[in-house]
Amino acid sequence: MSGDADEVLVRRVAASGDERAISELYDRYAGLVYGAGVRYLRDRALAEDLVQDVFTAVWRSAGSFDPSRASFATWVYRITRNRATDLIRRHRARVRTVGGEAYPEPGEEDPTGELSRSFDVASALSRISPVHREVLVLAYFHGLSQSEISRRTGTPLGTVKSRTTAALRALRENMSHDEDRGSADE
Amino acid sequence: MRDLLGPYVLGALEPGEEREVEEHLEGCAECREEAQDLRLVHERLADLANATQTPPAGLKERVMDGIPRRETRRAPFVAAAAAVLCVLAVLGVLYAPGIIGREAVASATLKPTDIAPRAGGELRVRKDDPNARAELEVWGLPRPGKDEYYELWFGKEGGRMSAGTFTVDAEGRSTLYMTAPEEVSDYQQVGITLEKFPREPRMSSAKVVLGGELQES
Repeated sequence: MSGDADEVLVRRVAASGDERAISELYDRYAGLVYGAGVRYLRDRALAEDLVQDVFTAVWRSAGSFDPSRASFATWVYRITRNRATDLIRRHRARVRTVGGEAYPEPGEEDPTGELSRSFDVASALSRISPVHREVLVLAYFHGLSQSEISRRTGTPLGTVKSRTTAALRALRENMSHDEDRGSADE
Repeated sequence: MRDLLGPYVLGALEPGEEREVEEHLEGCAECREEAQDLRLVHERLADLANATQTPPAGLKERVMDGIPRRETRRAPFVAAAAAVLCVLAVLGVLYAPGIIGREAVASATLKPTDIAPRAGGELRVRKDDPNARAELEVWGLPRPGKDEYYELWFGKEGGRMSAGTFTVDAEGRSTLYMTAPEEVSDYQQVGITLEKFPREPRMSSAKVVLGGELQES
């Protein structure tokens, strides 16, 4: 990760069609968009379509993104939700047209707001320092213990422990910043 | 002791350390409050990890390949380019070296939908090393409204690729040379949609105005 804020990257996409910037935004959010697709569309091929649709929309509409109205995470969350609804509608229409197999009813979209919160957390995670992000990514996304993180990064165990605490504090500060701007699902 | 609160809320401390932290928390309201705050952050991170799935290998490449290049992204630019092309075509001086005269590798006749029943189009794809180029001619299309533009798509099972955007002249005509997928034989359909620049994009707002089957030559 470059460490540039989402809003800086999307401005670069809008201003000069910067492919490295859209690539960076993909790295930050594609796993979440794909996970949402698998969960709510219940179809991996449709989830891939969702990722493609969402990032193409980000590329095309970067110029209309207004950071004073919502964070980038909020914007991407809304695009994801709208595109998922469109994909379900289009898929159902196609099944009716060609008489294909019955399509399983997709799950209700984000009934508890968990997905919207996760976009905010992903955004906050991209804003903390690389050393703090590393320790949290290894613990939460790779499932490593504190000792395993110590070995993997060549960092003393005591430092890994204190760094984990500092990283959670830094994330809390950034999440508070998001809460002040409003949640992704308002 | 406060430095251990992170691994404590993760449940990542050794049993002895964990007991020490718990004993400390019983007598320290400040640390109890911080532990509560960090536990909330921990739960949100765990939710994020739970909601995230690694996309399949190759998807990023497909996404990056599928995004329309910048020069065909904005309607005002395309409108200007199309207008220039139309003027050149009217004057009979349209010249595209390396494209005209090459044998078409695929073609499609574009048929109208209810939106513009008298519209039509022809598409020919020619190999022009290192890339393939699409030669598109359309007629009878309504003039796009403000913030609207047309977009040419190549479609296949499980995906589609934009070949670029364009507009038409006052008579609803346009002749353009656009990007075609390198492996054009993988695609079976072509279609033209009327798109809009929305404040918040919704694909459902796109309307198909022309469509056809791509036939290999």
